[in-house]
Amino acid sequence: MDRKRVAGPENAVAPLVEYPKDQLRWAPQQEHRHSSKRQPEDIRPIYLKTGLINQANGSAYIELERTKIACGVYGPRQKKASQLSSFSGKGTLNCEFKFATFSCQKRRHHIRDAQERELSQVLSQALAPAVRLELFPKSVVDVYVTVLENDGLAACLAAAITCASVALAHAGIEMLDLVAACSGSYMTVPRNALGQPQTDATTTAAGASRDEIWMDADLEEEKHEDGSIVLAYMPSLNQVTHVLQNGRAEGAVISQSVESCIEACNKIYAVMQHSLLESITNGKTQ
Amino acid sequence: MTSVAATSSTFTFSAAAFQRLHPAEYFRKFVSQGVRPDGRLLSGFRPTTVHKSVVSTANGSSMVRVGGTTVVCGIKAEVAEPTLEAQDKGYIVPNVELSPMCSSAFKAGPPSEQAQVVSDAIDRILKDSDVVDLEQLCIEKGRAVWALWADVVCISYDGNILDAALLAVMTALTNVRLRKPTYDEGVVTVSGEALTEENSFSLTLTRTPLSTTFAIFDTPNNTLLADPNSAEENVSLGRITVTLDEKNQLCGVHKVGSGSCSPALIKSCIERAKERTQELRSLLA
Amino acid sequence: MTSVMSAVVPGQRLGHVQEYIAGPGTYSHQDFLYASVVGLKQVTTADGDERPTLSVARENTQTAIPEIDAIVTCKVVRVNPKFASVNIMVVDGKPCTDNFQGIIRSQDVRATEKDKVKIYNSFRPGDIVRAQVISLGDARSYYLSTALNELGVIYGTSIAGGTLVPISWQEMQCTKTKVIEPRKCAKPM
Repeated sequence: MDRKRVAGPENAVAPLVEYPKDQLRWAPQQEHRHSSKRQPEDIRPIYLKTGLINQANGSAYIELERTKIACGVYGPRQKKASQLSSFSGKGTLNCEFKFATFSCQKRRHHIRDAQERELSQVLSQALAPAVRLELFPKSVVDVYVTVLENDGLAACLAAAITCASVALAHAGIEMLDLVAACSGSYMTVPRNALGQPQTDATTTAAGASRDEIWMDADLEEEKHEDGSIVLAYMPSLNQVTHVLQNGRAEGAVISQSVESCIEACNKIYAVMQHSLLESITNGKTQ
Repeated sequence: MTSVAATSSTFTFSAAAFQRLHPAEYFRKFVSQGVRPDGRLLSGFRPTTVHKSVVSTANGSSMVRVGGTTVVCGIKAEVAEPTLEAQDKGYIVPNVELSPMCSSAFKAGPPSEQAQVVSDAIDRILKDSDVVDLEQLCIEKGRAVWALWADVVCISYDGNILDAALLAVMTALTNVRLRKPTYDEGVVTVSGEALTEENSFSLTLTRTPLSTTFAIFDTPNNTLLADPNSAEENVSLGRITVTLDEKNQLCGVHKVGSGSCSPALIKSCIERAKERTQELRSLLA
Repeated sequence: MTSVMSAVVPGQRLGHVQEYIAGPGTYSHQDFLYASVVGLKQVTTADGDERPTLSVARENTQTAIPEIDAIVTCKVVRVNPKFASVNIMVVDGKPCTDNFQGIIRSQDVRATEKDKVKIYNSFRPGDIVRAQVISLGDARSYYLSTALNELGVIYGTSIAGGTLVPISWQEMQCTKTKVIEPRKCAKPM
């Protein structure tokens, strides 16, 4: 039992949710995607701002419609006793990824779980190739990411990488390039004989289905996906730093999805550049 | 500000380096002139903003900014068994998370002492002042009640966390919408339809206590700094927190830290807190 | 001569290696120079250089970290017969946001008569000391030296709580009680 927090009831569970029978839940068969009128290749509009944490050396906040993530960067600073191993001529990048307890549909716990540990590791693997670690021997740069609202896990991870990279640049850490990241979901979308996306749910038998890649899928879309890809990319050096692919998809679809992700990363890069340059002009006026 | 050179014996430092080496001395120079390094008067509060419904995955949420301090409160509702003593009463469980993201003063891992103190203070204010009649949270007497987890995440820490966190919890509580539940043989079900006036309800708050904090900078002069930021907290002896409800009834006075203060000082804190909480209340509405 | 140009972000291509020398805030990759920090691009032409230097002036300064030969200001936290442990707080006049640990070993306190140095006659916990970084040290601490005239204790309080003023290179006097305490004093610059 956790004695350091205000204790609540022990066996609390989320109530069962019952959907009315006549009202079908969303399924990938309409002519457009779940939220708004996005096309498969469209990503959600991004709001990205630097400098919201004034005690941190660098910070950034990203919002993709309902997905909301904050990131703080500290360092280079002395390693803590727990991080201490032997003398290292290179710096260390330490990433910690945390979901706020209220950020997901089901309540999360305060203590870091296995998924958060895994995502922390992905984050650090995606960012480390871009950071010039050789310039700060035996010091550590700590990157803390907190998800305030999660609307699609793969998209959330991608947004966290993008946000953390901007926070690192904001902290004045020397980097080879910014890292933009984007996610894509493999969807099986039913089509009618004419190859048009189906609008009427009752005529499913008439057409075959088709694989599509939906960029930056939200939570509702993610529930129907066959698999997903998260790609982290250094746009100006044209190098990929991390790929995380899971689920089932044909080889051709996967290589196509890599192309689509890179294309989307270039769009995200423009937003990242803009927010960092904006931080310069803001600094001037203050 | 960097052009101001401060001297320590015969060695010269930049203002930033001087603040780093002698924080208390640095502050004393400002306070003796009646101002604070951030430009505020000793009695000045930082600009405060409140936003509601910021997280859609929570049943109620809020974001509060007090100067450089930013907190987000999200309330998640779950179903739990009531205790034997109070069979028709639900739970409200406030917890404040001071993560290493919001300031370098906090370490990863279990909550720091400060986080425990703040969580506990909010819990006591909610319980002792009878803020929410917990019978509203009853689903089936003796079987099932709502448990509201009110978790406050600090995004950016710059002092005075208690005022910000309490304001965030109160705002989020007024923002809570719970779906009307049905109880059937140990299973609690809610509808998945869109929220409407008919299928959901809000909480009725008996009162909304809000707090105002002052830092005691030095004892002989009883210099008070209203709404201290984190640098000011570090050089202060202690803090006085006054909690008041909308009828200006006291819900709590806490003095923490070393250093003593006169009863007159506490009285003046209460008077100044009355004005401040009125201002905060206008943000809540 | 320095001319300030546009604002850039990390990864932005700035020019060809044959045209410019890579300055601070930039790096070269294959045939090109790129920015590695957010800031303003500057081209500096110095006499005698065959090519102008391209650099990026940091907008959001990275926190200061100790480097070899840097002059640091630190606070003594512990002393033992072999060395004094310090927290490094300011590096080359720039405060670091977090403390770095350093140690001053007894053989690094003075330049002469090294074997006669007693740590407790040189530093006391709470003293503010100016020192120089001599090596990156071990995994935990930087190694510092005060073996120069202008290095040593610059600010201290006596046992009685008064401020100490230097009266010789190895003694300081309390302003309140006039008690003399031994220290490795720094010569005011």
